[in-house]
Amino acid sequence: MSVELANISIARPATIEEAVALASGPDARYLAGGTDLLVNMRRGITRAARLIDLAGVDALKSISCDASGVVVGAGVELARLIEHEEISRRFPAIVQAAAAIAAPGHRNVATLGGNLCLDTRCVYYNQSEWWRSANAWCLKNRGDTCHVAPQGERCHAAFSGDLAPVLLVLGAEIEVAGPAGRRRMPLAELYVEDGRAHLTLAHGELLVAVHLPADGRNAAYEKVRLRGAIDYPLAGVAVAMTMQDGRIESLRVGLTGLNSRPLLVAGTEAFAGRAVDDDLLKAVDRLVQHQAQPVRTTLAAAHYRRLAAAAVARRLVRRLAGG
Amino acid sequence: MSAVYKARTGRQGVPLIDGVDKVTGRALYTADLDRNGALVGRILRSPVAHAEIVRIDVSKACALDGVAAIVTGADCRFTYGVLPIAMNEYPLARERVRYRGEPVAAVAAIDEETAQRALDLIEIEFKELPAYFESKDARAPDAVLLHDKKPGNIEREVHHDFGDLDAGFAAADLVREHRVTCAEINHAQIEPHACLAEFDPVSGRLTVQDVSQVVYYLHLTLARCLELDEAQIRVIKPFVGGGFGARVEVLNFEIVTALLARAAGGKVFMQLTREETFLTHRARPQTDIALRLGMTKDGRFTACACVVTQRGGAYAGYGVVTILYAGALLQGIYDIPAIKYDGYRVYANLPPCGAMRGHGGVNTRFAFETLVDRMARELGLDPFAVRRANLLQAPMQTMNGLMVQSYGLAECLDAVERASGWKERFGRMPPGKGLGMACSHYVSGSAKPIHFTGEPHAVIHLKLDHDGGVTALTGAADIGQGSSTMVAIAVAETLGVGLDRIRVVSSDTAVTPKDNGAYSSRITFMVGNAAIAAANNLKALLTAAAARTLDAAVEEIVCEGGYFRVGDMGQAALSFKEVVAAALVDEGAISVKGAFTCPVEFQGGKHRGGAVGSTMGFSYAAQVVETSVDDATGQVTVDKVWVALDCGHAINPLAVAGQIEGSVWMGMGQALCEETRYLNGLAAHASFLDYRMPTIVESPQIEAFVVESHDPNGPFGAKEASEGALAGFPPALVSAIGNATGVDLHEIPATPDRLLEAIGKSRLKAAAAARKARAAS
Repeated sequence: MSVELANISIARPATIEEAVALASGPDARYLAGGTDLLVNMRRGITRAARLIDLAGVDALKSISCDASGVVVGAGVELARLIEHEEISRRFPAIVQAAAAIAAPGHRNVATLGGNLCLDTRCVYYNQSEWWRSANAWCLKNRGDTCHVAPQGERCHAAFSGDLAPVLLVLGAEIEVAGPAGRRRMPLAELYVEDGRAHLTLAHGELLVAVHLPADGRNAAYEKVRLRGAIDYPLAGVAVAMTMQDGRIESLRVGLTGLNSRPLLVAGTEAFAGRAVDDDLLKAVDRLVQHQAQPVRTTLAAAHYRRLAAAAVARRLVRRLAGG
Repeated sequence: MSAVYKARTGRQGVPLIDGVDKVTGRALYTADLDRNGALVGRILRSPVAHAEIVRIDVSKACALDGVAAIVTGADCRFTYGVLPIAMNEYPLARERVRYRGEPVAAVAAIDEETAQRALDLIEIEFKELPAYFESKDARAPDAVLLHDKKPGNIEREVHHDFGDLDAGFAAADLVREHRVTCAEINHAQIEPHACLAEFDPVSGRLTVQDVSQVVYYLHLTLARCLELDEAQIRVIKPFVGGGFGARVEVLNFEIVTALLARAAGGKVFMQLTREETFLTHRARPQTDIALRLGMTKDGRFTACACVVTQRGGAYAGYGVVTILYAGALLQGIYDIPAIKYDGYRVYANLPPCGAMRGHGGVNTRFAFETLVDRMARELGLDPFAVRRANLLQAPMQTMNGLMVQSYGLAECLDAVERASGWKERFGRMPPGKGLGMACSHYVSGSAKPIHFTGEPHAVIHLKLDHDGGVTALTGAADIGQGSSTMVAIAVAETLGVGLDRIRVVSSDTAVTPKDNGAYSSRITFMVGNAAIAAANNLKALLTAAAARTLDAAVEEIVCEGGYFRVGDMGQAALSFKEVVAAALVDEGAISVKGAFTCPVEFQGGKHRGGAVGSTMGFSYAAQVVETSVDDATGQVTVDKVWVALDCGHAINPLAVAGQIEGSVWMGMGQALCEETRYLNGLAAHASFLDYRMPTIVESPQIEAFVVESHDPNGPFGAKEASEGALAGFPPALVSAIGNATGVDLHEIPATPDRLLEAIGKSRLKAAAAARKARAAS
């Protein structure tokens, strides 16, 4: 039940390049707000001998907006994201999601990049050393059995970041810096469906920025949780929708808190041209229920999380249609 | 006639006398004390739920550099427990462990890292036994017994039968029964458990500074478990960051820290992690209740039969008292002609439960008030009207021997009915919104103490010296509820001086007189009366000194506003300090005391267990909760609460308002989102992330009203104010949810998953009924 961190060394680079160079050694981890990493280190589920503190890397903290699009540095704190006028004007759903994360104290230090790279969570994993040891560890940490699905081969820990589903439905791309240089890719490619290793970042790679389109006004995010703050989503749903002459032009649904990765629901392009009526809402409901794969990673029933996700998706689609 | 007024706009009251110290960070809590030279204590806990301890080998840990002491069950052969009749727990397990997290060994080392390494080096061999995590499994005929001589794993069965039950049910126009389940909850006080113990090997004296609410019991237990003379022990309570019952019995880590300090011959500091603080537990048990009520068509209760099963955890603790309270507190609030109660306190392989704010009464009140509401609906009666049809008339004695001397429930009902606009709004709420109401009550201290010694229930010492300051010495533990401020006000008002003349020193067994502690809301009633008695004794000495100086008869002296004068003759007055100077001549510093004892006729019925529930005065509360329910996700929002509490007299209205809001809020936590959860006996809730207390986001506006029924025996007419309003919240909320959705929940907390499931079932049922109706037509 140790609460004290073992000795660690901390490096404070000033540039992205320096940070990437420092992170090449084993046991090094990037540290942004620390609201996820340090908690996990105290619990002994994440180990790092060397932390690369990104607080001094100014290049990670810029927000630039023009007619072609918006670029947000991965080091931008959630509180700043919420207060940013252009962001709230162009992307109200980002503000809704960011404001639903944890509590004001956390949001002052927690960052966009940190939320996108949040470790996956599970009731058998986010526990003390004593607890996990008494439970024979688990597939994600030191053990060989997933207590959620003991017959299976994979870890089912759930991704619980609130911002990812919003950025997915907005069609965001990310920029990654690493030993081999920079690369840019759709946000969806950051994730794979594996609770033990859900990020596709190679060792030493750093998420540096998120590229957004110029506008994403017709989108919304809603989160289902047991209490109004300091609670990860049991289900989080983002919807982006554009309408043309009372018919759907495009509809995208993003989910979090359910699978091991944030999920862009597949098959919604088939809704183009349809009116938002009961049949459409039922179809959205079915699609979400079909693709969401919550398992017993939380104490709340998995079945509930699926139903709640579908209910919220229906509601957001109706709301964005002006109904 | 009781005065009804809004706590916030009526008499103001005073901020707590230690409030500034707390909000400025000057106040020192146990973890803030001088730890210079202290070793770090850590506990090794059982990873298994139920097992025989075959072998413990500490030799490798002992050999580790920096380890000063290691203790195991072998170092303490004495059991402890808050009830003299049920001491069945060792501070460190001997021979058997009964829950995951039970202390097995402990280490004192030079630093935390070394202590942890030492724990890792301790080898324990267990032989596992079957473990039971639910009452029904523990009660199964073939279940292994957790404790000898406790067949069926039942710690205590209670069977109480008052009045003619059969006649009562026969006289009813409507008889209904329902079963409810209340999840186990925890106090979740903000300050984690901590203890600083110092043993002086030369003098053989032990000094313990600790988070306890029951300094006297800790003193007694340390003497017992360490085989020390009580005179060798001093226990001090620094500032405490919340209790709510978590520290109302002696806890294993307190004894363990003292054992380590003695073994190391020095000072040991132990601070439990949040997880360990949760594992220490002692809170409200998971409870199953089957309740049957009889009601006439005009809403009169005719009979009540109640079966309560509490899953008490692995050891006795307060269990016997909790299971007795659950039945006893069916009485003393309404006029019910017949009540039958059957209670079962069950052992299970989980952390032991104990006392928690509203001790024993909360879950039964939930079952009772929700059933009353549902029956009222069936009979087409207003929920307020049903409560009013069953009010008591004070003074009276209940069937189980409880005395009701003052009773302001009718005024409480009036206050919240009016303020909430109930008459205009109930039944006319927009879709998804609902109103619900409930009543509750609580004791102002248990009239029969746990340890019978023949001593008074409370003693206060007052010291007056040359400076003209009065120091009140009290053992009463201020744990944030404001008891020291209450003592200061009681003394100041009796002496007719300002609060700035009073100092309060509390909870140091070398200095303050013994006090049983902060529990069962006993302090205001008992210690308050003792403080008034002590102040009157001091006032008599001062009046005599004033009479001597002014050359007047004692009975002519009037004392008010800090001055003593002869009648109202306009003669020169003596200031308080002048009178003090006169009183000190030939005497020197003055010490007086005051005491308070609950008369025997208040100490409960003659039946077995009849002392539990007995009190000098009950507080009463009524509340209305307004809620919104999202029927797509099952999420519940508490929009507003109106609550009225009859506390007899508000000695400090500001503190009373705070306590009312606090009780409502704590009731809200239990009703809405708080619960402990175990995975094969492992606590999966043991952090503030997973144990979901409400945050400020879901905290509603609470409009609090104080009703003053002027109890004939209370200090200035006061009764308790800290617990009475809690038990009404869960039923009021669940009834409001029913009002909003048409769905009757039978479980708390009303989490979205539970509610959505209940809504789904209710829709299926309605659809089936509709199909049946169509088929029939």
